[in-house]
Amino acid sequence: MKFIAVIRQVPDGESRLRIQENRVDLSSATLILDQMDEYGVEEALRLKEKHGGEAIVVGFGPERAEEALRTALAMGMDRGIHVVHEGYADPVTVAEALAPLIREESPTLVLTGGQQADWDSQALGAALAEALGVPVVPWTTAIELEGETARAKHDLDEGAEWVRVKLPAVFTTQQGLNEPRYPTLPGIMKAKKKEIQKVAFQGNSRVEILEEIIQEKARLQRILDGKDPVAAAEELVRLLHEEAKVI
Amino acid sequence: MILVVLDHDGTKLRKGSLEALTRARQLAQALGEKVAGVLLAEAGAPLEEARGYVETLYVAELGPYTAEKWAAGVLEAAKGGVKAIVAPSSRQSRAYMGRVAYALKAGLLEDTLESWAEGGEVYAIRYAYLNRVTQKVKSPPPVALTVKPNTTPLAEPLGQGGEVVALQVPPVATVEVLERVQEEKKGVSLTEADVVVTGGRGMGSAEAFKRVEELAALLGGAVGATRAVVDAGWRPYGEQVGQTGKTVQPTLYIALGVSGAVQHLAGMNKSKYIVAVNKDPEAPIFKHADYGIVGDVHQVLPALIEAVKKLKD
Ligand SMILES: Cc1cc2nc3c(=O)[nH]c(=O)nc-3n(C[C@H](O)[C@H](O)[C@H](O)COP(=O)(O)OP(=O)(O)OC[C@H]3O[C@@H](n4cnc5c(N)ncnc54)[C@H](O)[C@@H]3O)c2cc1C
Ligand SMILES: Nc1ncnc2c1ncn2[C@@H]1O[C@H](COP(=O)(O)O)[C@@H](O)[C@H]1O
Repeated sequence: MKFIAVIRQVPDGESRLRIQENRVDLSSATLILDQMDEYGVEEALRLKEKHGGEAIVVGFGPERAEEALRTALAMGMDRGIHVVHEGYADPVTVAEALAPLIREESPTLVLTGGQQADWDSQALGAALAEALGVPVVPWTTAIELEGETARAKHDLDEGAEWVRVKLPAVFTTQQGLNEPRYPTLPGIMKAKKKEIQKVAFQGNSRVEILEEIIQEKARLQRILDGKDPVAAAEELVRLLHEEAKVI
Repeated sequence: MILVVLDHDGTKLRKGSLEALTRARQLAQALGEKVAGVLLAEAGAPLEEARGYVETLYVAELGPYTAEKWAAGVLEAAKGGVKAIVAPSSRQSRAYMGRVAYALKAGLLEDTLESWAEGGEVYAIRYAYLNRVTQKVKSPPPVALTVKPNTTPLAEPLGQGGEVVALQVPPVATVEVLERVQEEKKGVSLTEADVVVTGGRGMGSAEAFKRVEELAALLGGAVGATRAVVDAGWRPYGEQVGQTGKTVQPTLYIALGVSGAVQHLAGMNKSKYIVAVNKDPEAPIFKHADYGIVGDVHQVLPALIEAVKKLKD
């Protein structure tokens, strides 16, 4: 069996974002393996540990994204494929880049994050599934293999459902699927020697980003001292009523 | 053609469909195209209502929703060629539109706040980086575009019923729905509420949420929760606000005992007014708050409830 986790490298949500020449500048940001993709890596590892076979991490992004692939290898993935591409690419373009490589591996299933922490896209899993001609289960919280099929639980807009899906299939992750492990020191050492196949990709994204701005609403920041809770609460309610006029 | 997916709850069109329709009409006008609707259903569908909004309405009954079936239905309706497919944004639509976009090699414009056409290309404004950055993007047609809820005026009906065309959707049976797990719905819906009162780990227990419910009810709002609270089993997942929960944009968002992690902020940072109560003056949530109280929520919340009651009397 072969379990593939598709990953990307994104800025840590806690790190400050800067804008340079109308675009997000990540040169001083802390970059990490997308936490939603990390659930996919963890699930691939658990499936491999339970059913045997191989767990492969496939990454898309610039040279620096190799660090995120190494993180996945340090968690225990067996080998990596890195499709190297600078700059933005929409999910259709990313799927076009990855599908031929994934098809060649004939995986049992493919996992990727439910939403990307940089481009806020939820579509890579679905676009990839279309490219591979297989079903997609978005926002997955449980996967159980049953021979040629899998039983999976996934979130809808309201509520959730259990489905049976023909394999191979693409699953996108949701919180609750698992708790990702931390890379261990021996894991990190081993990861340095694991193979990462590099593939160049020059495709053109259909969607182009013209401008990025940080448009944070200026907040009033009127913070009251709550040592006297009754007085503070009354003052807050007065402000909400008279100043903000929201209650 | 500009195709608009009319989402519904089995008996009536969802509000988001009328927002999507407004966007579709704007694009159609700018690109010199006609609008057609597509109505896909598990069983029943508001056919009469839907045909009041479009000149041509493609319909198909497909059984339980799967992304594959919905993508097949939309693609069948788009067979004559489309410049844009517009759908209200939801978890479901963002999945099947991903398939549709790939199949048509279309530019995928997800969860857009605004969209327009200029010089034959389609432009859109959307959020990125966990809702922190506003992007302006463009794509040549065809595009697959989803419309963020509560961003667009609702479309008016045309005044006469359009032509209904039944679609022959090729069967796709790769996903079988075994069981739906419904959430119990009570009070105001979280995503539509004008006021959201969220409790975080700082509430300390499931019991303490009685008072969160009380304040929410007093303000005519909904109860929200952080992931820490959902993980602890104090509140159902349906109430979670944030990156992996729901995105809300109420007029008033009250965060009680919430630290303000980015993944939580991603779901509420566009609220009009944000109020925070936290005992730690250094809690990140205060940087994102319009009003706040540094104090113990167990003392402040009962006092807040009393103060609101007093105001209402
Ligand atoms: C991939 C991913 C997705 C995530 N998605 C989400 C999401 O959708 N939504 C979400 O909420 N989180 C999400 N998280 C988790 C997020 O990072 C935080 O862990 C979570 O939001 C913390 O919840 P909290 O603020 O309730 O708890 P804490 O961070 O523990 O904060 C509790 C706060 O309460 C205060 N407090 C304690 N006692 C009192 C008291 N008596 N009176 C007043 N204040 C008090 C403390 O000072 C503290 O600031 C996600 C994380 C990951 C990795
Ligand atoms: N809703 C819109 N409709 C039409 N054009 C727009 C819209 N929003 C932005 N634009 C165009 O984009 C340019 C820059 O927009 P912005 O960067 O969003 O301020 C404007 O000068 C307009 O030409």
